[in-house]
Amino acid sequence: MGLNDATRAPVGAAPEPFAPDLSVRIGPLTLANPVGVASGTFGYGEEYAALLDLDALGAVYTKAVTVEPRAGNPAPRLAETPCGMLNSIGLANPGLVAFIRDKLPALRARRFRTVVNVAGAALDDYVRVVEEIEAAGGVDAYELNVSCPNVKSGGMAFGTDPALVALVTEAVRRATKRALVVKLSPNVTDIRETARAAEASGADAVSAINTLVGMAVDVKTRRPRLAMKTGGLSGPALRPVGVAAVYRISRAVKIPVIGLGGIATADDALEYLLAGADAVQVGTATFADPGAALRVLEGIEAWMRQNRVARVADIKGLLIE
Amino acid sequence: MVRIDTELLSKRRVAEGYFELRLRWPSGAGAPAAGQFLTLRARGGGDPLLRRPFAFASHDAAEDEATLVIQERGSATRALATLEPGAKLDLLGPLGRGFAFPERGTEPVLVAGGIGVGPVLFLRASLDAAGVASRFILGARTAALVPESLLPRGAGVEVRTDDGSLGTRGTAADAVAALPRDARVALFACGPKPMMAALDRIAAERGWPYQAAVEEWMACGVGACMGCAVPLKGGGYSRACADGPVLDGRLVKWD
Ligand SMILES: Cc1cc2nc3c(=O)[nH]c(=O)nc-3n(C[C@H](O)[C@H](O)[C@H](O)COP(=O)(O)OP(=O)(O)OC[C@H]3O[C@@H](n4cnc5c(N)ncnc54)[C@H](O)[C@@H]3O)c2cc1C
Ligand SMILES: Cc1cc2nc3c(=O)[nH]c(=O)nc-3n(C[C@H](O)[C@H](O)[C@H](O)COP(=O)(O)O)c2cc1C
Ligand code: FES
Repeated sequence: MGLNDATRAPVGAAPEPFAPDLSVRIGPLTLANPVGVASGTFGYGEEYAALLDLDALGAVYTKAVTVEPRAGNPAPRLAETPCGMLNSIGLANPGLVAFIRDKLPALRARRFRTVVNVAGAALDDYVRVVEEIEAAGGVDAYELNVSCPNVKSGGMAFGTDPALVALVTEAVRRATKRALVVKLSPNVTDIRETARAAEASGADAVSAINTLVGMAVDVKTRRPRLAMKTGGLSGPALRPVGVAAVYRISRAVKIPVIGLGGIATADDALEYLLAGADAVQVGTATFADPGAALRVLEGIEAWMRQNRVARVADIKGLLIE
Repeated sequence: MVRIDTELLSKRRVAEGYFELRLRWPSGAGAPAAGQFLTLRARGGGDPLLRRPFAFASHDAAEDEATLVIQERGSATRALATLEPGAKLDLLGPLGRGFAFPERGTEPVLVAGGIGVGPVLFLRASLDAAGVASRFILGARTAALVPESLLPRGAGVEVRTDDGSLGTRGTAADAVAALPRDARVALFACGPKPMMAALDRIAAERGWPYQAAVEEWMACGVGACMGCAVPLKGGGYSRACADGPVLDGRLVKWD
């Protein structure tokens, strides 16, 4: 405020403090700030309640919710790789009924925006999860996980075929008026095609990227390090892939893009925002530093002050190409 | 559970490739119980990326100190072994569920295998402090891997080595199998999977309760990622970090 208001600023006075507007719009939803925590890395929020001020987060994207409870994949499910990690969790979650009974009340009591990550083996599963959560009062938004590399049926099967992305998005669109985000897989030839399919079918935003398929072998034992053999790569190693995906998607669709993959610092997030993202998510970095997302947020705000950028949505216009 | 920046007070080699780290553990961080663990970030940013879990081996509330016993295995533990007193440590803990005290009338038998020694030493000290007598059995491959200076003093301490270079030749599980069948033993253990599985068979056969501290790869350490799944005999999984690390050993599927 008052920046260009020469008549009100006395000559020679210190410049007024510059307060950037951190809010971000995703369809019908306004996020207080652009930084959320990524699905699968933050449980349902309460697991981290003792370690950071959850309500300072722009959004919490929950672990995937499926209709039926899922125990998940055999162990080991984790392996560390250079500047990254592989996981093959397999959408382990307590299922829709237990989610609504045990997790939803605490999420609704929070000030942060809750985005429920939805997964399924079939089209109807996605619709049912959203319908029943809506019937229970709803949450702020839904993120369709059509891109998990860890389940044999569904997940990535949907996420790699633009026609199937369109089908799932359309079907869920009919079930809710709330903000609908479609989470895209990088395990495709051209991610713009699935992004366009989501946009054309009524998605309010896309988030990108989910994990890349990866594998590691223990040379001593000659066994794959994950029981499932392959898993999803996340962490800093993934970041350039994510930034490129967001850059290309943002030039192919008009809906907002939520960028993620390997963000650990404010500079990492700013890469995404400059490349075309409207908001970001912090995933794997939280494992190393539970407060990572809040530090990312502070850093973005400081950068906006320093560069006198008024709104988050203005950042993407600042990329020099 | 807190995340704190604290410092290494001292480091001491206690066996081949084994180190005892003594660190500042402020009272505000909460008193750890035997079997609980912390996670530690070996370096800020970059590799190794994930925090590494280590069990508390002791806690001294009066001195605001705690110890860990660590074995050099890979990049993070090698980095830890090179730290000097005064080095800053980024810790998160106490995490998980520790050992429950034995029921009255049972005879606690504490079994440590290899680097599982830390939490078992801590349990021994906690029982001692409560005036509960216990038997302590340590199994190791060879004498060089026995942290002799850490072994509890007093009665009922037994060492077994695979090659007989220290104590009786044989495994810790052999020592447990040699206990009288009709004794009312309560087993407490931490060690390699074959040892844990052998104790499970003995416990099942004799109807002994069996508290087992498990080890699994971890990412979050706080129950959020479902990465540290420990398979159960009845199907499904427990999370090593949040449901454990101390689990009912008779429910765990060890192989
Ligand atoms: C609850 C818990 C308590 C623990 N307490 C202790 C302790 O008190 N002292 C101690 O020395 N270690 C303990 N560990 C194991 C310790 O976390 C690992 O040794 C450490 O993470 C290895 O890190 P690194 O980077 O040195 O090795 P990496 O380079 O990560 O691994 C080197 C090799 O070590 C083995 N390894 C590493 N981590 C694990 C694991 N979690 N499970 C099985 N194998 C593994 C693998 O074979 C791997 O190839 C504990 C683990 C858990 C889950
Ligand atoms: C342990 C783990 C579990 C995950 N579970 C899910 C999930 O349930 N649904 C989903 O859409 N993405 C899931 N992801 C993917 C993340 O949300 C994110 O897209 C990916 O990890 C890249 O971001 P990062 O590098 O910041 O972690 C998971 C990732 C990890 C590491
Ligand atoms: S390590 Fe994440 S749930 Fe146990």
